Amino acid sequence: MLTYCLRRLLYSIPVLLVASFLLFGFVRSTFDPTSRLRASRDPSVVQAERDRLGLNDPLVVQYGSWLKDAVSGDLGVSSRTNEDVSSMLWRAMGKTLQLIVIGAFVSAFIAVGVGVFSAVRQQSVPDYLITGLSYVGVAMPPFWFGLIAIQVFGVQLGWFKFVGLHSGDSTAYDVDYLKHLVLPVATLCVQIVASWSRYERASMLDALGADYVRTARAKGVPRYKVIFKHALRNALIPLVTVMALDIGALFGGLIITEQIFSIGGMGRLFLDALLQGDVYVLEAWMIVVAALIILFNLFADVIYGILDPRIRLS
Amino acid sequence: MRRQRRGVQLLALVFCFGLLAAACGSDKKATGNAASGSSSSSSAAVPKGGTLTIGAEQEPDCADWVGTCGGSSWGFWMMQVQTMPRAFDVLKDSSGTYSYKPSIVLKGEPTLETSPKQKVTYQISDQAVWNDSKPITSTDFKYTWDQVANGTAIYDRTGYKDIESVDDSNPKVAVVTYKNTYADWKSLFGGQFGILPSHILQGQDRDAMMKDGYTFSGGPWVIQQWAKQDSITLVPNPNYWGTKPSLDKVIFKFQADTSAEFQAFKAKEVSVVYPQPQLDAVDQIQAGIPDTQKIVSTETGNFESLWINNSKAPFDDVKVRQAVAFAIDRKALVERLFGGLGVHDPLQFINAGINKAYEQTDAFAKYVKDLKQVDTLLTGDGYAKGSDGIYAKGGTKLSFTVRSTAGNKRRELTEQVLQQQLKDAGIDMQIDNAKAGDLFGSILPQGDFQAGIYAQVLTALTPGNCTLFCSSNIPKSPDFSGNNWTRTSNPELDTLLATVDSNLHESARTTAAKKAQTILSDNMNTLPIDPLPNVLLWSNKVVGPVGDNAILGPFFNINEWGISA
Amino acid sequence: MKTDDEIGEEPAPFGVPVMAEPHAELELSPDAEPVARSQWQLFRRRFFRHKAAVLAGTVLLFLFVVCFGAGWFAFYDKNHQDLLLGPTAPSKEHWFGTDQLGRDTLTEVLYAGQISLKIGLAVAFISTAVGAVVGAIAGFVGKWIDQLLMRTTDLFLVVPAIAVLAIALKRFGQSDDTIILVLAGLGWMYMARIVRGQVLSIKEKEFVEAARAAGASGPRIVVRHLLPNCLGPIVVNLTLGIAAAIVTESTLSFLGFGVTPPSTSWGNMLSSAEGNYSINAHLLYFPGLMILLTVLCVNFLGDGLRDAFDPQAKH
Repeated sequence: MLTYCLRRLLYSIPVLLVASFLLFGFVRSTFDPTSRLRASRDPSVVQAERDRLGLNDPLVVQYGSWLKDAVSGDLGVSSRTNEDVSSMLWRAMGKTLQLIVIGAFVSAFIAVGVGVFSAVRQQSVPDYLITGLSYVGVAMPPFWFGLIAIQVFGVQLGWFKFVGLHSGDSTAYDVDYLKHLVLPVATLCVQIVASWSRYERASMLDALGADYVRTARAKGVPRYKVIFKHALRNALIPLVTVMALDIGALFGGLIITEQIFSIGGMGRLFLDALLQGDVYVLEAWMIVVAALIILFNLFADVIYGILDPRIRLS
Repeated sequence: MRRQRRGVQLLALVFCFGLLAAACGSDKKATGNAASGSSSSSSAAVPKGGTLTIGAEQEPDCADWVGTCGGSSWGFWMMQVQTMPRAFDVLKDSSGTYSYKPSIVLKGEPTLETSPKQKVTYQISDQAVWNDSKPITSTDFKYTWDQVANGTAIYDRTGYKDIESVDDSNPKVAVVTYKNTYADWKSLFGGQFGILPSHILQGQDRDAMMKDGYTFSGGPWVIQQWAKQDSITLVPNPNYWGTKPSLDKVIFKFQADTSAEFQAFKAKEVSVVYPQPQLDAVDQIQAGIPDTQKIVSTETGNFESLWINNSKAPFDDVKVRQAVAFAIDRKALVERLFGGLGVHDPLQFINAGINKAYEQTDAFAKYVKDLKQVDTLLTGDGYAKGSDGIYAKGGTKLSFTVRSTAGNKRRELTEQVLQQQLKDAGIDMQIDNAKAGDLFGSILPQGDFQAGIYAQVLTALTPGNCTLFCSSNIPKSPDFSGNNWTRTSNPELDTLLATVDSNLHESARTTAAKKAQTILSDNMNTLPIDPLPNVLLWSNKVVGPVGDNAILGPFFNINEWGISA
Repeated sequence: MKTDDEIGEEPAPFGVPVMAEPHAELELSPDAEPVARSQWQLFRRRFFRHKAAVLAGTVLLFLFVVCFGAGWFAFYDKNHQDLLLGPTAPSKEHWFGTDQLGRDTLTEVLYAGQISLKIGLAVAFISTAVGAVVGAIAGFVGKWIDQLLMRTTDLFLVVPAIAVLAIALKRFGQSDDTIILVLAGLGWMYMARIVRGQVLSIKEKEFVEAARAAGASGPRIVVRHLLPNCLGPIVVNLTLGIAAAIVTESTLSFLGFGVTPPSTSWGNMLSSAEGNYSINAHLLYFPGLMILLTVLCVNFLGDGLRDAFDPQAKH
């Protein structure tokens, strides 16, 4: 098992390096780190900055020096705010993590519940309803749901908050915080729950039809025990793998949710940086997110290896 | 399983159609009317204490006002005005005219000597102190000048670079001597920059100490916290020698955009908003928001125009420029954009409303929609209407591309209206928008446009149009600095605008400015469209002298505001 | 029913409206014979038994006809403005209401549909074609070419998609064509993996070996024998690709990186409606519902096609 993990980890490093070089080159060739400075009415500023940043060197050299600094933890300084990019990323990551962790927990809970329920009650009216809704959930543009939710639950009914994660300048994790979480988490969950619950329902149906379940039933094991102990445990294996992959993608995938709900996480950091051509933030952002996706891919493989003993043989 | 899933799919389809049907019938108009009072009850006693939350549309890049990252309007309104002392306030008198007034930092109007060199003597008030009780001194003036004139990565050295020396031998008297005459001297030691505390910053890295917010203050408020991407919190400065704030705390909460801001205002998450006058904001205000008040001011520091690149075909031809001006129905456009705010008339001069005292305010009034004029001008210029209804000359269609800031919905709609109007007049217009950073960072400076729609924003009370129209300010390779993006080049105009910038006599400046405006209009170098009104909305709970200030922003007197329970 | 590899390697991409179970199900049975005429009849019969898919197909056809025939069907001209009218709620004259420039929303929705559907279709076709070709080459040639192509695929899968799309559109411009190419450029990887897997499993089958023994050339084997056997997954992926492209385009347009005015898509109609949906909700509802309806129908159609292609799949 350990060698398997190590092998996968080693394999990830060249992928990350190549990906980071390509992303770096892509960002550098798209944006001019000094374009913002033209707003300054002092012409010498631009040239001085070009020299300081080494923008006249070949791309490989620029990447080399970036990588050297990055490995030692220095991701550069934002050309927009003069702030350390790493501290901007940490701050944004903190907020995005809150959404992802809570969103993933809620989604997993609902998805498994709903999936198991509709598998067990296959072809009942609730099953129809749930499956129908999941079709709609998957087909709905997430930002559209978010906007309607703000209008209905935030403005008209006034039940929930929709600006940031806290009211005012509070940082407490209290009822107010929960009120802020509901709508963005719901927006995030709609698509995931729809997709995960369908996954869970399908694998649960597979499990319920499997021989070992039938054997267990024949031996007189009670129905609930069969469902929760035998079938569910096996049906969770594929779902957990998919979860890991989806969660990895979420780090860069919450742009719209964060934008609609004015949450200063990774997504808005990206948008701000993109609109302002903030090269150093964009480079670091892309590469960190790519690394996280690779990491969660790795998780998915490893979890799968642990949960399904057969894979270890291969 | 399969049959069952089909049933589900049918159900989902039905559900979807149901939604469609529901959408058809669920359009309710918002009810309730906004109190449309345009001034507030300033005489009512302002309650003590309380927290005021204000929606902010933009987060500033940094709080180092002097540095290249410092030029943010919102940063200026929220933090700079509240914490940095300034020599002059810009205030509106009862007739609505803006003028410079010495601030409480000074004992009174400084003395100005004009010969042999321009020399200004500031008498600093004995009460003027920083929030650490250290006095504000002439050394602070000297340090500020030194930083702006000689520092690295400075946003704008205008004016400061004309100063020869600052004498700080008497701590309470600052004597500023200029090497070049600078007419707009009242905007220095104030304006966008303020006066910097030399006893704190001297010998330090100013940018590092200020960029993420700072704890010093010479204004009514102190920055308690700047939670990036979330909010800014101000608390009263206990050592402020002017009117001490009534509120315990002011929080500026960042909103993703104008629409999010409106939703937050409606849901009472924020009590004050200062939205861009986007079309949807105008519609919302017109529809009414219960329990709120508003001010709409048209005399602002902003103005929006159809900026024309005078060096690019077809606009290197004055007749074509004039024809375009006669093809556009600016009145209908302004009515649609801002009619709901009570703004009905297009802007008829190229300058911000607050400078109208200097300007020929009807210079462009002759350009009203007149298709006959368009035809006369273009036919006289050798153009003929083609079979597609578009004028052409020598096989080339009369066509141009307009560029603006992508994502600005008002401008996108403006472009679509112009496109339609110009098409009716026989002129083809294409649209190619770019992100604001690209537009202002490279496209406009490098002249990679035929026409553009954007606003100029004044940050000081100065009539000078030289920045925008003097031939010396045409951007050139390699660094493309200079703000004469329209590439207007006219020796007569240069002389007049130079007079406006450097003459110390107000009447001479005004005469020159008016004449320059007429020349701009005759040559149709650029077509002014609208004054871009400022809109301030606040909840009825907010009391005090709430009002807008075109230069210092809507929150300049927030120390006098209060909030009722 | 699911093989281990599929689940490990080909999960549904998040944020892309692909049904949850498709990848396992859309695998053709490895035993499938080359498609024959009788197969086609079987396919048709199976498809028409799938009522939701038939209904969805009909609705889609209707949408296509009214959108691309908007010149005939719409009551108003495209971009016909009535500035003094401004935004109004749905009425007898304007079934879907009007927008801020007094344009008829129904007309605008139909014309916007042309762009949205065009982008959806083109992206799905291009990305499926690219993916199929890459997958077929990788699977058939094998060796270092397979390694190279699959590692490239891996690389494309780890980049943050929406972010790369936004930057690419900023860089290459936001015309319809660049949007299509950029979206397709980031959408071919799943197809490549699926086709490669198919080709690998079919490659060793007797009929391929027979063809090879009979002296058929590599390309001929791929075109005549391998690709037809991948037709099922290809067609299903094509339909799902349409759905994914429409939603992604709307997302990008909403953020301001997609279609820009005066050209309109459903996504950028939503974007311009965002500002005042609390008083003019119809501007938000109709384009959104069009997206929902289209994607839903495309997904049902995909389900129907999958079932029709894959008689063995059952629960």
